[in-house]
Amino acid sequence: MSYYTIPIGPQHPAIKEAFQFNFVLDGEVIVDVKPRFGFVHRGIEKAMELRTWVQGIFLAERICGICNVPHTTCYCLAVEKVYGIDVPERAKYLRIIINELNRIHSHLLWIGVLGMELGFHTVFMYVWRDRERVMDLVEMISGNRVTPSMNCIGGVVYDITPEMEPIIKRNLDYLEERTKYYKKVLMEDPSLKARTEGVGVLSKDKALDLCAVGPTARASDVKSDVRFDDPYTLYDEIDFNMVTYSTCDVWGRAMVRVDETIESIKAIRHALEKMRPGPINVKVKRIPPIGEATARVEAPRGELLHYVKSDGKEVPYRAKMRTPTLANIPALCEMLKGHYIADIPAIVASIDPCYCCTERLMFTDIGNGKSWIWSYDELRRYSLKYYGLGV
Amino acid sequence: MDPLIFILRILIFPGILFLLFLAFIFEWVDRKAYARFQNRIGPLYAGPSGILQPLADFIKLMAKEDITPKYVDSIFFNNIPILAVVIPLFASLYIPLDGSPILIPFEGDIVLLLTLMTIYTIFVFIAGWASTNRFSIVGATRAILQFLAYEIPMFISAASVVMYVGSTSVTIISQNQLIPLALLQPIGFIVFITALQAELERIPFDIPEAESEIVAGWLTEYCGPKLAFLRLAEDLKLVFGSALATALFLGGGSGPILPPIVWFILKMLFIVLLSSYIRSLFARLRIDQMVSGCWRILIPLSILQFVLSRFLGVGFRWL
Amino acid sequence: MAMIREVFKHLFKRPVTVKYPFERTPTAERYRGKHIFYIDRCVGCGLCARECPAMAIELISSDKTINGRRPIFYLDRCIFCMQCERICPRAAIHLTQFYELASHDRKLLVHSEEKVSS
Repeated sequence: MSYYTIPIGPQHPAIKEAFQFNFVLDGEVIVDVKPRFGFVHRGIEKAMELRTWVQGIFLAERICGICNVPHTTCYCLAVEKVYGIDVPERAKYLRIIINELNRIHSHLLWIGVLGMELGFHTVFMYVWRDRERVMDLVEMISGNRVTPSMNCIGGVVYDITPEMEPIIKRNLDYLEERTKYYKKVLMEDPSLKARTEGVGVLSKDKALDLCAVGPTARASDVKSDVRFDDPYTLYDEIDFNMVTYSTCDVWGRAMVRVDETIESIKAIRHALEKMRPGPINVKVKRIPPIGEATARVEAPRGELLHYVKSDGKEVPYRAKMRTPTLANIPALCEMLKGHYIADIPAIVASIDPCYCCTERLMFTDIGNGKSWIWSYDELRRYSLKYYGLGV
Repeated sequence: MDPLIFILRILIFPGILFLLFLAFIFEWVDRKAYARFQNRIGPLYAGPSGILQPLADFIKLMAKEDITPKYVDSIFFNNIPILAVVIPLFASLYIPLDGSPILIPFEGDIVLLLTLMTIYTIFVFIAGWASTNRFSIVGATRAILQFLAYEIPMFISAASVVMYVGSTSVTIISQNQLIPLALLQPIGFIVFITALQAELERIPFDIPEAESEIVAGWLTEYCGPKLAFLRLAEDLKLVFGSALATALFLGGGSGPILPPIVWFILKMLFIVLLSSYIRSLFARLRIDQMVSGCWRILIPLSILQFVLSRFLGVGFRWL
Repeated sequence: MAMIREVFKHLFKRPVTVKYPFERTPTAERYRGKHIFYIDRCVGCGLCARECPAMAIELISSDKTINGRRPIFYLDRCIFCMQCERICPRAAIHLTQFYELASHDRKLLVHSEEKVSS
């Protein structure tokens, strides 16, 4: 039995960023997948240690072009925990609004990308045309279409004036109507359903075992969403639902994202109603107290984690990010086995990969040129030893 | 016929130059219609409303460097583009664009035309195989698999037309349709248009050249003038395919007032627009779905049409 | 198949493409573009250069400010975050809506124009 290895990446039309999958094939059927990444390593965690706390917000924003608002929100939440301050209520609602706008734009982008991977360019063009409305709304609120830079340590910097609210509501109504139309297309179009149903199956046990996050897990009937499990910035006061599907395939993930877009539109409307006038940020000192904190938010792709540690200087001692795509890669490798080459773009696109966010810690001994990674047990033992919690 | 007029007809009108002109125009129509369906503009700046864009693309590709990779089978690799252009050109000479075809028609030339298309697919496979690139080989094998699926319904729906009219000459079929056969044999028409979409390698059947999966399929290693010729061959296949569909199903050049050639081109445009519309409506199918769909749906439908035309149209001779 | 009617209707609609640069969509009021610098308001404190996350502001000597320095802006490094405008104690920097800043030469992207606030 001779197997055939095809490398997809780092340059390939199906993969938007530099990433390499080595597929071991038996004819057209995939037997094994070996991912290899590190092509987009930019040294952001090290660069964070050289910039002040406020400059770090802008660096965190540029980790990812699509999910930049969750990155800044998470970083600011972690730093505010170190400071021990609480932001004003209006700032919390504004953070919800801008986060949900970012989620809508990211999910609409993804629907278009799914259409393009499957050769359905019409869906791509229509959805990205409607996505322009979201970008125009973000530009109206904050001044930039892609990187709003709205968070600061202590709140937000831009406010929504009463003149903006009818414009926002009008555009949200239009978006809701179009998203319901795309949901209808996804549920009824025979060629889309033929390409996405039963493809890339990830059963519930495997999803829990491999720690899948975000819509990838929620399509396998795993009820995990940071906005509901661990609410931050007043998500527990907003009235919207968690979306899960139990079909466990690419179609399920598409439906989860479309439904989440509709839920986000509802959440923004509710937040706009509940907002009361007030201050939008508090002043903080330049140098935070000594301490460390972790914060997690629900990025459009899943659970995002930021950890910062301060030792009383004006630059952080350590900042660490764990992005959701990294958590979904083992699940992706499991999903691909047993399918055809023709399914690769659909399955890889279904976890909504954002490779520029993905980083991994690897030890390299420059002296003798060896490199190795730690397993889970070794990591656990090291952390217990570090915190002095016994052997 | 006067030999000089014969040669002029082959070379200029409605021969090779005219067919090349039609190829560029139809590519423009296809791109503009596809763009308008998607709420975009399409080609705009090259010439008025972008009409010179296909010609500009052709010239640009001809001006690029001609690279032959080291390990390819160079006899096949270098000559397939020329053969790929010649086949649709030669086949189109048998279709009566302005009332009578250029080369002398004979009974059985529909078989010749469909066989020429088969040979084209064999050339596609040889091109992909000779490229010795992993992606090209996958594209080439997919082309052959797809060919096994669509060729039979195409032949059977053409055969039901032949059975109805009673002659195997394309000229006679196209001149003897009081009511277009698309209306009398709708199932056959739909099967033929679907199989035509697969033959022209357009979405939903552009599997051998799937851009997001295997880079460019069997075309991957071609660049420069060879790629220019292969793209021209695709456009010429579009011209030939729509001409064949018009001759068989839409009644050729028949119609009131205007000369036959104008009616023929209008009907060909209708087929091209229909093909662009189908292209914008569907996602790309997977090869196993395409093959099983063809065998489970298209072939029974075409056999049904054949049986119906045998029993409903028997005895209708062209005299 | 699900999009049959919608796709057909689009054949008769106007395309949404904006024919840039012959047509332009208007930018929002808060759009962050090229800086405008008021030399008569600047005191040369240097806070903008210290705060800039992209190190896009450099202080050069000038005899029009109290401290003898004024900032120049490297537009090819700037990320248009508006921190310089926020931190300036005299409101001497303001970001306009002008965004067409592409250039063939990096040296042309050093922005050192001075304006006098009226």
